[in-house]
Amino acid sequence: MRGIILNPVLGKEFRSRMRTWKSPLVISIYLGVLSLITLGYYWTRQGPITYTGFGPEVGPQMYVMLAVFQLLLVSFVTPAFTAGVISGERERQTLDLLVCTRLSATSIVLSKLLASVSYILLLVVASLPVFGAVYFFGGVRLSEIGQVFVVYLMTALTFGAVGVFCSTVFKRTQVSVVITYIIVFFFLIGTAAVAVFMASISMRSGSYPSTPFIAYLNPVVALFSTFPGQLGQGLFLREFQFIFGGPVPVGVPPGSGGAALPSVGLQPWQYNFIGDAVIIVVLLGISIQLITPVGRFSWVKRIRHRKRMPVTVEIGTADARERHAD
Amino acid sequence: MLVVEGLTKKYGKLTAVDNLSFTVKEESIFGFVGPNGAGKTTTMKILATLLAPTSGRAWIAGEEVTGNPGRVRQLTGYMPDFFGVYDDLKVGEYLDFYGASYGIPAGRRKRIVNDLLELVDLAHKREDYVDSLSRGMKQRLCLARSLVHDPALLILDEPASGLDPRARFEMRELLKELQAMGKTIIISSHILPELAGMCTHVGIIEAGRLVVSGTVEEVTHQVRAGRMLEIRVLDRAVEAEALLKTQCGLIEVKVNGDLLEAPFTGDDVNLSNILTTLVGAGIPVVSFSESKSNLEDIFMQVTKGVVQ
Repeated sequence: MRGIILNPVLGKEFRSRMRTWKSPLVISIYLGVLSLITLGYYWTRQGPITYTGFGPEVGPQMYVMLAVFQLLLVSFVTPAFTAGVISGERERQTLDLLVCTRLSATSIVLSKLLASVSYILLLVVASLPVFGAVYFFGGVRLSEIGQVFVVYLMTALTFGAVGVFCSTVFKRTQVSVVITYIIVFFFLIGTAAVAVFMASISMRSGSYPSTPFIAYLNPVVALFSTFPGQLGQGLFLREFQFIFGGPVPVGVPPGSGGAALPSVGLQPWQYNFIGDAVIIVVLLGISIQLITPVGRFSWVKRIRHRKRMPVTVEIGTADARERHAD
Repeated sequence: MLVVEGLTKKYGKLTAVDNLSFTVKEESIFGFVGPNGAGKTTTMKILATLLAPTSGRAWIAGEEVTGNPGRVRQLTGYMPDFFGVYDDLKVGEYLDFYGASYGIPAGRRKRIVNDLLELVDLAHKREDYVDSLSRGMKQRLCLARSLVHDPALLILDEPASGLDPRARFEMRELLKELQAMGKTIIISSHILPELAGMCTHVGIIEAGRLVVSGTVEEVTHQVRAGRMLEIRVLDRAVEAEALLKTQCGLIEVKVNGDLLEAPFTGDDVNLSNILTTLVGAGIPVVSFSESKSNLEDIFMQVTKGVVQ
């Protein structure tokens, strides 16, 4: 594991990313957009309450808005950073040179993913001062922000795994990027649409609408389930609760909008993390197999047939080994 | 060092490499010759563990290529015909990165990088970005990269392609130096005269099949079954041709202006008699020589231009 984390590909990726002017520019644009959204919201709230100050709901609402917007930014940025990591190497004609070193395919794939996700996390961490503005208004605990950041991490890893997978499957980076964005779009919008469709069918048949599992794959659902109940009221929590049922708006007092729905045991963000973990493992596993040119499923082959070298050659081989060892 | 046994690679219905078998001895330079699409690159990629063969086996220093790719990668240095570089890395960083990728400890890498840059004459470019190097320099850097883990076998796919004559000369000298250092080299090239002057062994491949292989002398002998006599006369070429046809050991005579060429199977006594006969008949002989083995001629003779 240490070898995977401290491997040269990771070091090279960090060095390459941070060496050019592009990185500071991306961070500046990212923070600029987040800051503009925060300021915009602040100004819209400031107008009608000049003399009475801000209501207690302003801080939490700003927090929800920022959290959702940052999730969308993470979802938007991740494919751009990951969908070309393998296909880019292939296009640059450097993949063969990398694969024929002692680095394992697992190490290459994980390093590429970790390097990209690390950069995305850098963006998220850099946004902390913007989130700090929420404290100015109060109403949000640090642990809640921490929970939201874990959702970002899982989302970045999941969409990152999708990007790495597509860049392994498709030879051209452009195709890989487009397909990755389509898949991410499906996670964000498609899962919700399918869930609504399934819920509406369920309601028409007269039964109580249960939460389709596909809804839990939506990172927005996971994010909303981490908000304390009073947060985001008036934005779209109730709508989400109606669509997905379950304890989406955790802590909503009975009668305040659907908390009477039966609990499903785990929280939606927990289901989301399980789903994400499965997706990450499967996609990375396939990616690793795809870039392993020789020795795929080698442990199976080894069991099936143990091949031996002709005796005449073995004599020369021993000499060669000794020579090489010298 | 290398044993290839019945190696076959198929892409659907296309057979890129067809039952290829050959051996390469230690410290030899094996020239892998063949027309485009003959299967050279495919074979080299299989040996470099970048492709799995459909059937057949290959061993490098006793390690089966498909059975233990990790060990084989440690034993081989591969330089592809087309390769890219990380344009955001400096020359020293580039080699250091690959050194780390081969698991060389950081403490040793600095010395290895310095030595390799000296070897390929790029020490003065250490702090330059790789992208700023000329093609010849990039080729040399890639050769240095393939040497970073001190492999026993070098697999070089067209290492001199696209280089100007001086860069080709430098590359050739570098390969000879590597051979002197005890490396075994498999090299493919289209520039056959260059290979002839450098290789100890040659394998000619066409349509995925090995047509002929062995030392350059063996291959020449196999293909020609004799020597080639070249006689230049001042004039009276037709008369000289008629005279030569009566001589022992000469199979057929071709006349090309003042030059007469004839495959010859006799010994040195016969050769001396032929010259005596020509001079005795008053033929004005300008030169009388045996042509040196020419890999290009052999290549043209044994291949039929079949491409997969």
